[in-house]
Amino acid sequence: MNNLDIGYLVRRPEAGSVLSLVVVIAFFVIFGGVHLGNLLSAASWVNFAANLGIVALPVGLLMIAGELDISIGAMIPAGSMSIAVVSGYYELPIVVGIAVSLGLGVLVGLLNGILAVRTSVPSLIITLGTLVAMQGIVLTASVLITGNASVPLNAPEWTKMIFGQLLGGQYQVIILWWLALTAIYAAVLHQTRFGNWIFAMGGDKESARNAGIPTRRLTVWLFVLSSTSASFVGMCGAILFNSAQVSGGMNYIFNAVVSVVVGGVLLTGGFGSALGIFFGTITFAIVNQGIYFTSIDRNWSSLIIGIMLLVAVLMNNTFRNMALRLPPKKL
Amino acid sequence: MATATQNKIVAMPASEGLWASFGRLSRRPEVGSFLGMIAVFLFFAIFAGQVFVSPAGFASWLNVAAEIGIVALPIGLLMIAGDLDLSIGAVIPAASLTVAIISGYYGAPDSVGIAAALVLGLLVGFVNGYLVLRTGVPSLIVTIGVMFAVMGLTLGFAVMLTGSTSTAIVPDAISKALFGQFIAGMFQITIFWWILFAVIFAWLLHVSPYGNWIFAMGGDKESARNAGIPTERLTIALFMISGFCAAFIGVSQAMVYQSAQVAAGQSFIFNSIMCVVIGGVLLTGGFGSVVGVVLGTITFAMVNQGIFFTTFDPNLGSVIIGALLLVAVLMNDTFRKMALSYSPKSKK
Repeated sequence: MNNLDIGYLVRRPEAGSVLSLVVVIAFFVIFGGVHLGNLLSAASWVNFAANLGIVALPVGLLMIAGELDISIGAMIPAGSMSIAVVSGYYELPIVVGIAVSLGLGVLVGLLNGILAVRTSVPSLIITLGTLVAMQGIVLTASVLITGNASVPLNAPEWTKMIFGQLLGGQYQVIILWWLALTAIYAAVLHQTRFGNWIFAMGGDKESARNAGIPTRRLTVWLFVLSSTSASFVGMCGAILFNSAQVSGGMNYIFNAVVSVVVGGVLLTGGFGSALGIFFGTITFAIVNQGIYFTSIDRNWSSLIIGIMLLVAVLMNNTFRNMALRLPPKKL
Repeated sequence: MATATQNKIVAMPASEGLWASFGRLSRRPEVGSFLGMIAVFLFFAIFAGQVFVSPAGFASWLNVAAEIGIVALPIGLLMIAGDLDLSIGAVIPAASLTVAIISGYYGAPDSVGIAAALVLGLLVGFVNGYLVLRTGVPSLIVTIGVMFAVMGLTLGFAVMLTGSTSTAIVPDAISKALFGQFIAGMFQITIFWWILFAVIFAWLLHVSPYGNWIFAMGGDKESARNAGIPTERLTIALFMISGFCAAFIGVSQAMVYQSAQVAAGQSFIFNSIMCVVIGGVLLTGGFGSVVGVVLGTITFAMVNQGIFFTTFDPNLGSVIIGALLLVAVLMNDTFRKMALSYSPKSKK
């Protein structure tokens, strides 16, 4: 599809997110009097986007497949707390801490996934249950074990290099992880059969299964992916800041969903792209953090996000209808 | 297009055969939540001791239950009809601040502030319903968008008008008595409002023809519309009711605490959904009851507050709630299957 045809471009899922990114930046430049160079090179929103983006990608994949995972809100503090308790409080090797942290993510993901495929309960409710339960477990465990809701962690040099370095003094190394993961997700979603399976599942799960797609296994793995990604982000945070905090994962729930939807994914499933989610996350991060660079009162950022989401939703619908109506091109 | 011909759908008397047989009883949506409530009550009566069963103990969870309960009722109705409303998390502080800014900051009569706050709730509800209908986008996403927008508007206007994110209000005698009174020094008057709301909702869902419409919509919206049910008007009405109830809680919070804060209300979003699900409503729609929602709310509030009377770590409360939710969900699933596979008894 190397054809630079406007009709095709506008019908791609990421068209909306690129458009909203341009509109938001233009809005900030015109009404906020922001210097474009300062805004684009600011570390604050890039760091924010990287942390959010790593979670938003698998959440987006789940949404393409027609499921939802809000337990990520508890998995970020859980990932950060478990490595801090294991390697910081008990002073076990950092590798063990990393393994426990990611292992916890896999475990909760398996629980979510298995419950989602075994019962007819919507995944929103299932993951709401695991969200609340994990929150309680993390808080209780950290208070019981360490007597404190914030645990220090001193990671060795090499783990800091990989997970918690500040590039140029301000850019978190997690940005590189985010870029790499985006590339991987884009390749998997758009180039391999797994990607096709995910789209097929979101379009019509029954038919997908009848076509021989292992929908159950795929669903479980997607849940594992999203909660492990969340605990990965929590882990990197703990390594970077040398301590784990229990609070502050809840915002990720709505932020991730909004990024994904602004990125052109339909909640009803079957439509979206990894690149779209990438741009959606950037747009969200620029609104959320970039507003500090403008003369606009930061309290209005929620309003911008809300309107952006509603507009995105309306546009996605239009784009999807256009995409469905587009006659196939003659080669 | 919704046809204007509203065929009278004969309401099945809900109370008929309530005690007819155990098999029938166990298929009712509120059974699971009733058992859960009893279990939780016994648990805390044993582990928290005398304090929990004293009037002060009852007051502590009833006050919490009443506030969540008034929001959980319309959320339950929406969920039975197959929709969700997350925007309540923003409407509660928005209404709180509206009444505080109009009546507290500008000194207008309380009734004006209260009316404005309630109208605001209805308006947000209308926007929700209208957008859901016009776009066909899942209400989860639409109401998240509206939530962010209302939150931003509240913050922006509060800071613009008063220069602060919290505003004080001194309610006059009437509004204090109506919304912010403590009966016997500990029971918030909200509890009685909650009872009133519950009765109205129970009538609406289980006695009036609208209730059948709501169930029908949740079961299958397309068929409901084809049967002549005005699904569009009903959807908008349900969203407006939930906006109204959220605004009501916002007003009563402002009157009780005599100040309004921007940040209050977020916890209501998930808490109300959990109350409703523990109360036996299926998110997929078409199944649930008002009694169940009330019982679910009581259960939730007992765990939430009861844990403080025990020697356990308070954070264990959320583990219990999460576990309860998952158990409730699995049980509902089983009950629903039983209900669907149940063959009607031959007439005695």
